[in-house]
Amino acid sequence: MSVNQALDTAPAAAPLKVRFGGLGTGLILAAVWIALIVATGLYRPDFFAQQTLLAVAFTMSIVGVLAIGQGIIGMSGSFIDLSQPAGLIGASLVAVRLSEAGLPFPIVILGAILTGMLWGGFNALIIVFAKLNPVIVTLATNFIGLAALYLVFQLAQVPLNSDIYVFGRQSWLGLPAIFWPMLALVLIVGFLAPRTRYGRRMIAVGGNRAAAKARGISLRATRFATFIIAGGFVGFAAVLFAGTAGPFNPSSANTLQLNIIAGVILAGISLSGGRGNFWMLLLSIGFLSTIPTSLVFFGLSSDTQSIFQGIILIIAVSIDGYRALRRTP
Amino acid sequence: MTDTALKSEPADYVVPHHPVRDFLTGSVASIGITFILVLAVGLFWVGPKFVSFGNVSIMGTFLIVPLIVGAFAGFALLSGVVDLSIGSMVGFSSAIFALLLSMGWDPFSAAAVTLAFCLFFGAINAVAIVGFGAEPIAATLGMLVALRGITWVLLGTQGAIFAFNIELFNLVSTQVFGLPLFFLLAIGLTLLAALVVTRTRIGRHVQAVGGDDKAAARAGISVKRVRAGALLLSAFGAGLGGIVFAGQLGSAARATGLGLEFQVYAALMIGGYSILRGGVGNPVGGALGLLAVAGVSNILDLLAISPYYVNIIVGLLLLAAVLLDRLRGGDAFE
Repeated sequence: MSVNQALDTAPAAAPLKVRFGGLGTGLILAAVWIALIVATGLYRPDFFAQQTLLAVAFTMSIVGVLAIGQGIIGMSGSFIDLSQPAGLIGASLVAVRLSEAGLPFPIVILGAILTGMLWGGFNALIIVFAKLNPVIVTLATNFIGLAALYLVFQLAQVPLNSDIYVFGRQSWLGLPAIFWPMLALVLIVGFLAPRTRYGRRMIAVGGNRAAAKARGISLRATRFATFIIAGGFVGFAAVLFAGTAGPFNPSSANTLQLNIIAGVILAGISLSGGRGNFWMLLLSIGFLSTIPTSLVFFGLSSDTQSIFQGIILIIAVSIDGYRALRRTP
Repeated sequence: MTDTALKSEPADYVVPHHPVRDFLTGSVASIGITFILVLAVGLFWVGPKFVSFGNVSIMGTFLIVPLIVGAFAGFALLSGVVDLSIGSMVGFSSAIFALLLSMGWDPFSAAAVTLAFCLFFGAINAVAIVGFGAEPIAATLGMLVALRGITWVLLGTQGAIFAFNIELFNLVSTQVFGLPLFFLLAIGLTLLAALVVTRTRIGRHVQAVGGDDKAAARAGISVKRVRAGALLLSAFGAGLGGIVFAGQLGSAARATGLGLEFQVYAALMIGGYSILRGGVGNPVGGALGLLAVAGVSNILDLLAISPYYVNIIVGLLLLAAVLLDRLRGGDAFE
């Protein structure tokens, strides 16, 4: 695939087709998203309301931050992190316990992020030293993690009127406060990933392990770094989750997983690694987060939401697979 | 392996064949040992009650659906594709079947129509994965969610369809020699699947496609046809499981089949299958994996230990099984 990628130097001017190839995904996504919005708006003009915007931005926030983590895992060639729910709930529990202890908000955030990083590091430890595939390792650690969390707690909630509780219910500039950190993180990660040495190493390892290794990139170190960083994003998502979720139990995050994976694939971030643009996550997650609200306006029950989500995922991966088939000679 | 390659003496081009050693280090042997270990722990901790007909009969009743589903889903794993949608397919199948029964259909035509629906959705999986080259895990994850949505819409606001058929219930809960008839049938099905895998041309084709699809294609096997067939079989098995489930419960509910895919695949992987590479595993090993996991959860149940420990043990067993698979020649991940 991307064997001749310049790693530690700025990339030379890429051919036009390559440069704008990524833009196609964005245009299609934007078009589909706008079509959905227009269709819903024509059917029910009251769809265009502040309330809709709030709901969509709210849904986007947690899923968006988790999708950054998933995107990092996918882009670096580790396929999928199925243990995000356990990591998220674990970090949320830490956030709850720290706020119950009355610690200041920055400490709460730091504690949650460190917990997420620790969880990512734990996964990486097994993956790197036992040389096992991340999909199965994270499947197993999610099993173990959620069961262990159930042994620790059944129901948890951040204390009323603590800083994190207030933050979860605030709104800035007409949108939920939790939306802005997500937006900032997607923009920053999307800017840094192809422009920094570490970002390019990560993409290189995902694109072609052997070539990256031949260039002197440590696969182990990169693997550790990607899992710990991705874990950090899970930890930060836990702050947003704990602040907004109300009472939650260890299974509360299981439903998020599909939207995250669908969002990452729709954004054109290849799960087999090496390709993708994090900025596209804003479009894909935005589109996926509009669907539930749209369905409500169309008068469809929330059960139909899964049907649409599932079909969209099947179509997205079929397109992804078809592209890959055409690329390989 | 590498040591022999380094020696300069000419290879004699005879593939070393050690049936006994292969058997002892093979996947069935390691799950067999695990199974015996679980039995021993059960006998030691719980006492003879653990292997009493009553207790085995209870375990067997719960194992019927996973055994049926696992025996068919194993073909997909063996051919190198994984079908995550089996759990939802079981739920969907039981919902359709219960719906048709509640509309007054006779069980046989209801079952036939249900299986046809399941094959239709299996065909969509096959088109996406084989036709378009979609990533199997992601595509069937989509099918899992879509089918769950369809099932919930079918079940309506009540969230359940009641379709109790006394003849069907009597048939499903028939006991033979103190064990459920359908449990014995499911074991028989597993043995039949094992025969197909190891002794027939079809089985060898499936293994060849899963082991190395390029080599299989060069040998003239249609990789696409085998994989599409395996995905259809997996959907068929899940449909069958759903029908039996609906017969057992006399109803279909939102929770029917929920999470069954993890239960089945965790057990199949513990039993020697791999969801990442095809060509390894055996239906007997898979069934022993299911029995071992059921045994563990039964032991904890009888000792009144928190059921969450089962998931921790299953997770650890899973990691151990994948490590063993890698040591036996699975791909190392770097």
